[in-house]
Amino acid sequence: MAEIIAEIIIDVEHLTKNYGANPVLKGVNLKIPQGAVVGLMGMNGSGKSTLIKCLLGLLHGDGGRATVLGCDSQNLSPAAKGRLGYVPQVVYLYAWMKVRHVIAYTASFYPNWDHAWTSELAARWRVPLDARVQTLSTGQLQTVAIVLALGHRPEVLVLDEPVASLDPVARRDFLKSLLEMTGQGSRTALFSTHISSDLERVATHVAILSDGRIAYFSELDELKDRVKRLRLRRSAAFPADFAVPGSLRTKVEGSSALAAVAHVTPELLDELRQRWQADVRVEDLNLEEIFVELNSHD
Amino acid sequence: MTDASLEFEIQPSSGVPIYRQIMDQVRALAASQRLRSDELLPSIRQLAADLEVNMMTVSKAYARLEAEGVLERVRGTGMRVRATKAAGTAAERQKELQPLAEAMVTRALQLNLSEKQILSIVRTVLLERQAWLK
Repeated sequence: MAEIIAEIIIDVEHLTKNYGANPVLKGVNLKIPQGAVVGLMGMNGSGKSTLIKCLLGLLHGDGGRATVLGCDSQNLSPAAKGRLGYVPQVVYLYAWMKVRHVIAYTASFYPNWDHAWTSELAARWRVPLDARVQTLSTGQLQTVAIVLALGHRPEVLVLDEPVASLDPVARRDFLKSLLEMTGQGSRTALFSTHISSDLERVATHVAILSDGRIAYFSELDELKDRVKRLRLRRSAAFPADFAVPGSLRTKVEGSSALAAVAHVTPELLDELRQRWQADVRVEDLNLEEIFVELNSHD
Repeated sequence: MTDASLEFEIQPSSGVPIYRQIMDQVRALAASQRLRSDELLPSIRQLAADLEVNMMTVSKAYARLEAEGVLERVRGTGMRVRATKAAGTAAERQKELQPLAEAMVTRALQLNLSEKQILSIVRTVLLERQAWLK
């Protein structure tokens, strides 16, 4: 599956966006191939929502360009919109409507709406169909938004913090549905999240937004295979300015050193062992640790 | 869950990529004969659903194990553990190991390891494996 050269579904080139004098996106480049499930990570205020909104044409970028399904984001055709599903971070629905009517109303815009599937999803997530929107909790609103976004079985799913307000059970159910939908390898998903453990199950790729740019974009497995923490120990003290070549940071304490390295190679390990006569231990990092290492600048 | 899926335990938040966790566990299951060579592994779809991970992750693990010769594809039905070929005389079987030993010794000498250190590693691995098989 992964070997097939896939079509680029989401294509962002040099995208910039300023809020007044404040640049948020400083030239984002991102090419998402068909079938990828991309977790978009970034610190608060890094521009994840802004990027997502620019992709969907809900915000206009100041420079560069973005296309989804080959269609310019600033001018998405109804056909392209019909192939997209979007869960916003903040859900706005008519407060006075009953949930089942909101679903029926949304369905009426889509010729290919799958009523059986939405009923199944609603049951799975215990969506209170006869409650009015204004009585729903934040988490319930989010599940309604997810049902609305998935109902036409979109080819491209864009989700902005889809699970932030969900309880652990609902979150797990959501991830299962996402896996079911993307499992065939034809659907593409981009979702932003703070919860890296969710991402580790479902994502094929990770994109890290930092300082207005995509600092890292690769397959999740590849990221885990190459970002490592090295623990070095030798008989004599390391020089105070010792740094592992290419490391994100190195901490020295006498004869011990700790370094996070973005790209570990056997050659690097050999060099360290020989040049410093050091014992080098390689530690695996999970996604949360990788994210912290890639974002710490000290 | 199928029976074989129950044998797997995946920790998504480990630093070890999930596909490698699956590979390690298939190897261990095969080595310990808990998965026999006539048994089919769960399909990619099944195992992905059971473990609640992406299908591509399972697909990658199976493909690499196939390339390594641990698994073999049975046309139309799925994947199974490749029967270990233990045929031939002891001398022939030793000869099959020779290239691996050469590669290991080359690397060991690059690492400045002594004869004693090299042999001790082989012994450790062997003992670990034998403990598995018990």
